[in-house]
Amino acid sequence: MANTLRSYLACIRNTLEAAMCLQNFPCQEVERHNKPEVELKTSSELLLNPVLICRNEAEKCLIETSINSLRISIKVKQADELENILTKKFLRFLSMRAEAFQVLRRKPVQGYDISFLITNYHCEDMQKHKLIDFIVQFMEDIDKEISELKMSVNTRGRLVATEFLKQFV
Amino acid sequence: MILLQSPSRFLLQTLSNRVQNLEKGVELDCNSVEFDDVRYHIQVSMRYPQFVLLSMSLPTPPPETVFIGGLPYGAIDAIKAAYGVLVQILDPPRDGFNLTMKFNLSKLPPDEEQRQAILVKIASVREVVLGAPIRLILKHLASRTVAPNVDRLVALVHRPMESFFLVPQAEKVTVVLPMRFKDSIDTVLATSFLQEFVAARRTTGLNNAPPCSWSPSPPLELKGAPAQALSVNAGFVTFVIFPRHVEGKKLDRTVWSLSTFRAYVSYHVKCSEGFMHTRMRRRVESLILALDRAKPDVEKSRKAANSRSFKRLSLKGNPG
Repeated sequence: MANTLRSYLACIRNTLEAAMCLQNFPCQEVERHNKPEVELKTSSELLLNPVLICRNEAEKCLIETSINSLRISIKVKQADELENILTKKFLRFLSMRAEAFQVLRRKPVQGYDISFLITNYHCEDMQKHKLIDFIVQFMEDIDKEISELKMSVNTRGRLVATEFLKQFV
Repeated sequence: MILLQSPSRFLLQTLSNRVQNLEKGVELDCNSVEFDDVRYHIQVSMRYPQFVLLSMSLPTPPPETVFIGGLPYGAIDAIKAAYGVLVQILDPPRDGFNLTMKFNLSKLPPDEEQRQAILVKIASVREVVLGAPIRLILKHLASRTVAPNVDRLVALVHRPMESFFLVPQAEKVTVVLPMRFKDSIDTVLATSFLQEFVAARRTTGLNNAPPCSWSPSPPLELKGAPAQALSVNAGFVTFVIFPRHVEGKKLDRTVWSLSTFRAYVSYHVKCSEGFMHTRMRRRVESLILALDRAKPDVEKSRKAANSRSFKRLSLKGNPG
């Protein structure tokens, strides 16, 4: 299992390295505007082919690229209802703090759990390879955090139940 | 604190305060809500400092439960038995409350320890009033009989417009608690907690605890219960209580834990949500740090600028 995760993340890392060659590009329709083309999708010549990387049905990552921006959408695995709720809660918590994360999108793309939007300005402000490190670490951390949260809920439940039943013994 | 304590902290503190300064007249008028269903009101007037008026508002009963004069079955007797000469039940109760009691603090026993015990008993008024019907049934179980005038299925209130059910028999009492939660997150967490109860019961060392089961659909015992009592979102918990669980002193504990089971689960659901938030906040911080690492070192460049200005200053001060 750990091996497939490693190759999944390595694949994402390589794709990002190839895709993250962004340049400043003003809007073609409106003068003095400069917008992320991947969001507008007005001119097809500025868009590149999107790449979809799947680990399995439930876990996938969509990377959409354009001349001046890059969008990464991630779907996190949710095995049961508890994981589903925990994921939703955690990612909503992150999205609400999108301001602090600069590259995080407030709303995920439809069908995904969380999205990042990286523009050429972000690439100018930050080091490209470290930005990729961040995305990969983020994906690793989400998985780890959710399984730890789930474990802590179960442990607490067990403790609460044992203490309750102990009263009767 | 893992288990909920039966004396209400608010009542206990207010009463102990009052007892300690009994001769000093004060005006006191406080409200407090416990477990989101019971409301307390405590009042002391300047003129009669030895009297304490304690009013209690109970959750609205659903139609299937038996309420006599706004109180659960057997509550008046239970109050009289618990507090004796100290209490006088006022009729009608205060507006908006089900029960108003007048406690005469000058009749408290002089012995410090006994007095404290009585105050704790007064603070546990919830157990006395709401636990009265279940206590009656469990008392019969302790003597291995069934009360003559009792139905096959007894409904008791445990939340506003919600009830739980008891099936009294001579050797055992089956308690079925329908669990409902408002919030979807609460529901999911509570469901996983309730399944842990079943799993925990199977572990060694708890073989003598009441058998416990959980199911998403109504168990067979609830046949004949009204339909609105069977619509739940977190399933049904069933405990089977045997006479050994209600022997002697255990009776009080059992009455309390069964009648506040939902509050207990809900309390721990909220606690684990709070814990999750703390964790998530910490995780967000660590992720922001990871993102900051991507930015080129701001510190270093500022230092470089400083050193340049320092050099320039030194050049100025050194002509030639």
